[in-house]
Amino acid sequence: MKKLLSLLLFASLPALAADELHLYNWNDYIAPDSVKSFEAQCKCKVVQDYYGDNEELLAKLAAGAKGYDVLVPTSNYVAGMAKAGWLQPLDKSKLPNFKNLMPAYLNTEFDPGNKYSVPYAMSITLIGYNDQKLKELDITVDSWAVIFDPKILQKIKGKVTVLDSQAEVMAAALKYLGYSVNDRDPAHWKQAKETILKAKPYWAAFMAQGYIKELSTGNIWVVHGYSNDIFQADTGSQEAKQKFRIRHALPKEGAVLALDAMVIAKTAPRPDLAYQFINFMLEGKNSAALTNITGSGNPNSEAMQFINPEIKSIKAVFPDAESAKRLEQLKDMNKKERQLLNRIWTEIKAK
Amino acid sequence: MNRRSRGLWAAAMFAYAFLYAPLVIVVAYSFNDSRLNAEWMGFTLSWYGKLFHNEKMLIAARNSLLIGLTASAVSTVFGTMAGYAMYRFRMRLLPLLVLAPIAIPEILMGVSLLIFFVLLNISLGMVSIILSHVAFCIGFVAIVVRSRLAGMDEGLTEAARDLGATPWQAFRLVTLPLIMPGVIAGALMAFTLSIDDFVITFFTAGVGSTTLPLQIYTMVKIAVTPEINAVSTLLMMLTLALILIASKLSPGSLRAE
Amino acid sequence: MTTTKSQRLHKWLIGGPPLVYLVVFFAIPVLIMVLASFRNPGEFGGLAPLFAGGDGGGQLDLTTESYARFFSDFLYTELFLKSFAYAAITTAVCLVIAYPLAMLIARSPKKHRDLLVLLVILPFWSNFLIRVYAWMIILGSQSVFVTALNKVLGLFGFAPVSLLYTSFAVIVGLVYVHLPFMVLPLYANLEKHDPALLDAAQDLGANAWRRFWRVTFPLSLPGVYAGAALVFIPALGIFAIPDILGGTEGIMIGNVIKQQFLDARDWPFGSVLSMVLTVMAVGIAGLAAWVARGSRT
Repeated sequence: MKKLLSLLLFASLPALAADELHLYNWNDYIAPDSVKSFEAQCKCKVVQDYYGDNEELLAKLAAGAKGYDVLVPTSNYVAGMAKAGWLQPLDKSKLPNFKNLMPAYLNTEFDPGNKYSVPYAMSITLIGYNDQKLKELDITVDSWAVIFDPKILQKIKGKVTVLDSQAEVMAAALKYLGYSVNDRDPAHWKQAKETILKAKPYWAAFMAQGYIKELSTGNIWVVHGYSNDIFQADTGSQEAKQKFRIRHALPKEGAVLALDAMVIAKTAPRPDLAYQFINFMLEGKNSAALTNITGSGNPNSEAMQFINPEIKSIKAVFPDAESAKRLEQLKDMNKKERQLLNRIWTEIKAK
Repeated sequence: MNRRSRGLWAAAMFAYAFLYAPLVIVVAYSFNDSRLNAEWMGFTLSWYGKLFHNEKMLIAARNSLLIGLTASAVSTVFGTMAGYAMYRFRMRLLPLLVLAPIAIPEILMGVSLLIFFVLLNISLGMVSIILSHVAFCIGFVAIVVRSRLAGMDEGLTEAARDLGATPWQAFRLVTLPLIMPGVIAGALMAFTLSIDDFVITFFTAGVGSTTLPLQIYTMVKIAVTPEINAVSTLLMMLTLALILIASKLSPGSLRAE
Repeated sequence: MTTTKSQRLHKWLIGGPPLVYLVVFFAIPVLIMVLASFRNPGEFGGLAPLFAGGDGGGQLDLTTESYARFFSDFLYTELFLKSFAYAAITTAVCLVIAYPLAMLIARSPKKHRDLLVLLVILPFWSNFLIRVYAWMIILGSQSVFVTALNKVLGLFGFAPVSLLYTSFAVIVGLVYVHLPFMVLPLYANLEKHDPALLDAAQDLGANAWRRFWRVTFPLSLPGVYAGAALVFIPALGIFAIPDILGGTEGIMIGNVIKQQFLDARDWPFGSVLSMVLTVMAVGIAGLAAWVARGSRT
């Protein structure tokens, strides 16, 4: 028995070593090579934990999760997180690479002066699709109608998934109906709910991340998803030598732009490592590595020279001025609005 | 066999097939040389290889083992005490508290423990998982120990007492060895329950404390690959071995639940 | 006199520690959850402070608002009823599949019985998620089984069906996971039946079906009730099965509870739902126990 205990202790020793950076990030939202080169640089270990939805991140923090150093939430949640006391203010003197960022993405309404957050990458929530299958069915993918219009949906019944996120699905429905994603009018929400319920029977599932694999294997043909995930689905389908490609479609009604940011948790065990990491990711080539692997939008001017030209030409990743006008960022909700949306979402899931 | 027996036999065989076919399929596809769980493309051990290079998986396995060993040790001690107390003395509250965690839907325990830990500012992590696992494992061990005690010959302990042994000595030198197979069976069951637990761990896990079931769940939700089959097969083999040993040690104890 | 005192001392020495542990880590959390159902949700999730208006001297911030929301909105009751229905269907299907199996084991020669029972229990001891995942494979649109089924359906002119991500898949998952719980109590009961009763019935001219329906089944009712309770109660609170197999259908109350705690961050409301579920579970357990006691002659 004693031998067993000492063996256990030995096995758990690496876990007790303190030189670890705990990163809580979206799944597949960092280049594995970047992680390795950071670990070599800081002589520490990066322990990653993943979430698939901002709500999940907030729920964990509300449940008192300690032990994370760097988090990567979407910017609109930063204001709320700061008010809840979950973040520590950033000391810019420790982030010399801060100057690499494009001014257009700084000083947002969610974090004036970038007191708590630093832009990381961007993604647009749009439509991903299997180009071969949709061509066969003679469907042009340029509008949210592909996800919400029963006339189109019946051709692709059971081959569509949407995100498992109340905020995102509601936003898409609102955009389809011609409203702003931040429209809080209960009457409009009711309309959106009806639209969603009409379309739901044609959807296969609500998937937060599983759709990447389903797209690249050809099981699912149309998804409501994040631009970087769709990019990775395309990479996956090419690796699997599929005959189809996965394409992005930025709907003409507009879409949600998510500017994700790096923040340091107030209870971070290793803020020093956190600063090192953030500064590392602000370096041009590291930021570009993220875009090259995940196809995410990039707010870093130094990174542009390192990004693959093929990616730069994808409008959904680097939207032109015209498309950019139709993009909106989601604003966080207050308690009452959350409860109402919550109830609508329960109804959507239950019917 | 008469006609009705044949029908009965067929229905029963269908039930057994229904029970085992899915598991056999999971194991079979873990050797399938194809990313899809569809057609058979050839035999390979590559998925098992990938498993051992999967850092997240190894950490989850390590956590599961640590939690399992600790939770099983603690709950065996408490469970044996509880089983003995329930057998020997008239207790009213204890049987209720011991059996309730087993009877109610798991999600209730998971959720109430989450609120509990958060309100007490106990950080969610390995410790919170272990504490939670012990709570529902005690019941299983207690039931096994109690049934083992019920089948034991009281005469032996009485004889020991008559010969001058103190109650503690009688327990340690007579009772305990007699029920030891039951205790060990209970410990093995507790270990298995802890390794396999999903719902309660789901709510009480924290930073860096993923367990194997949680890792499997994440993999199922994100990207279904035959690696899941491989880790499932390994987990099943482990569980099978442990339960077979437990059933040999204490026959009939498994039926108690 | 001394024996009783030392007996009592032993009782608390031995029974005490596990009792204390369970009170702290089971009873108290449940009580906290009861209290939580009366509290206000926190501004950013979780629970609002118990005492509003500053620490120490504030007002006790309790409310029945969450309960009001539950009872005034039929949606949630509807969800409970749906879950009830799923659990009931699961129980019925389990009974149909388990009964022949239990009968076979009970009628087998004694030396085989333990092995047969072990064979029933073994799958239960494999990981719950694995058992659910297995059905993802079997029911997936790419599986050998489904492609074959669709080919056959195609021959008869039917459109191909999708089995995964449906209510059907959820029921299959629920049945599969809970089947052993139905077999064991049934078997335990059937094993005790006196074969002489059946012989007597046969002598009196009853055929096989009547023997079963008039003798065996009524006698087995306590086992049926026990098995039904052991399947129904856990099934009621399941969330992982609809989550993995259900797609957009088959959502159960467990999913909504999980959502309250891990997505919507409305803990008081989640606690309300949990309380209702607890009351239902305890109620059904009590009912099963009462019926079982009543039918014991």
